[in-house]
Amino acid sequence: MINIAVSSQKGGVGKTTVAINLAHAFARAGVRTLLVDADPQGSVGLSLTRQSRLLTGFYDYLQDPGIALDRLIVPTRLETFSLVASGQASDYEAAGGMGAHLARVRTFLRGVEARGFDLCLIDTAAGLFGVTGDVITSSDAVMIPQQAEPLGIRSVPKLLEGLSRLRIMNPRLTVLGVCLTMVQHELAESAEAAAALRQLLPPEMVFRTQIPRDGLFVRASARGLPVGVLEDGAGAQAVFDALRLEIEAKLEPPRGAFG
Amino acid sequence: MDPLHPWIDADEVRRLAMRLMKAPREPEVSVADAGFDEGFVGFAANRPTAPAAAPPPAAPLPERVTPPAPESSPAAARGPFLERIRRFRDWMGGQFAASGIFILDREGAVIFDENGHNRLHFLARSLALASRRPGTTAANVHVKIGAATTLEVIPVETAYGCLVLGAVVPEALPPAAVQSVMTALAEITKPGDGGGAR
Repeated sequence: MINIAVSSQKGGVGKTTVAINLAHAFARAGVRTLLVDADPQGSVGLSLTRQSRLLTGFYDYLQDPGIALDRLIVPTRLETFSLVASGQASDYEAAGGMGAHLARVRTFLRGVEARGFDLCLIDTAAGLFGVTGDVITSSDAVMIPQQAEPLGIRSVPKLLEGLSRLRIMNPRLTVLGVCLTMVQHELAESAEAAAALRQLLPPEMVFRTQIPRDGLFVRASARGLPVGVLEDGAGAQAVFDALRLEIEAKLEPPRGAFG
Repeated sequence: MDPLHPWIDADEVRRLAMRLMKAPREPEVSVADAGFDEGFVGFAANRPTAPAAAPPPAAPLPERVTPPAPESSPAAARGPFLERIRRFRDWMGGQFAASGIFILDREGAVIFDENGHNRLHFLARSLALASRRPGTTAANVHVKIGAATTLEVIPVETAYGCLVLGAVVPEALPPAAVQSVMTALAEITKPGDGGGAR
């Protein structure tokens, strides 16, 4: 099994949209995928499950060693796609020192692997500390959605410093790269910021696929669906299929195919 | 308008990015050697103390000739370096209930470890490195390594450069205690009058 943390230094960059739709893309391709909402805001759950606030979730599992993993896993209509909500304990579990939940996070991931999943995609809270730090130091890989706007991109140095520190703790961590999100080609500042980031970072660190700002995503979350399920979502789904293929290519040489 | 360069040191960012994009490396030591068995569940795991390894040789540091003073602090009495470090170890035990200490140099080489903490050396050095932010000195960090034991890692600037002290204590040390430990270790490793190399 591969586990990938979807993380960002800054909030509001489209991280949850990437996590949901990327997980769906993998699941559609036959990869047994578990999408875990490790964001205390519970955005995955809020997007896909109307009763998410009632579900026992990831943060409950961290808090209570008596909770069995099987209680958390919520199947979907797509056989290869399951979810874990953030849970009810998440309201007060945003902070906390790094390392505090490391043991439980790793127990969680071992349990997920034992249940036959090929991919565990974890949507983390913004920032690279606390539980998010524990998730990244327990993950095989991390990908970083980054909004294509100047203010967000100025946070990149801090992001890289944070990842460098976490990689000392987890030398096996593969940095898949930065994925530009909410790209608006018609807006000069957005296009310039995207171009500047590509110029700044090594090419292999920035995914070729970029996620456009699109009203489809708003509509999809309003209906509790991944965007690819919408009747006019084929174009958006193709974007995430391309992102999936890029990730598979990055992971394949050292780790072999999923599953 | 350039959206990045007035705010970003591009060379530094590229350097960091290139380092991050290097293929992940295997840890320098195996999980087991780092102090954790295959069932590693994190820093909260409790496991039996490793059998004591043969004490590594102490670094050939200058001896002290100052006569011993009353032992109100570990640095009060002078003597050969190894003896002073042992006194410091005893002081750590008395003051902070430390069940053992070890000291690494900036390259990670063992300066002192008489209790076979070699499984913790990699962890301590990693933590010390991880605590360092660009432009600052490393700060102390601690991790829980057992149900009732914490590894306190304290980088200390000394006359011999930055040494990394690892102390196995019942619980994390408060800031004032960390400061007194830093002062004591810096003092005890300080070459004094007549303390030149022989």
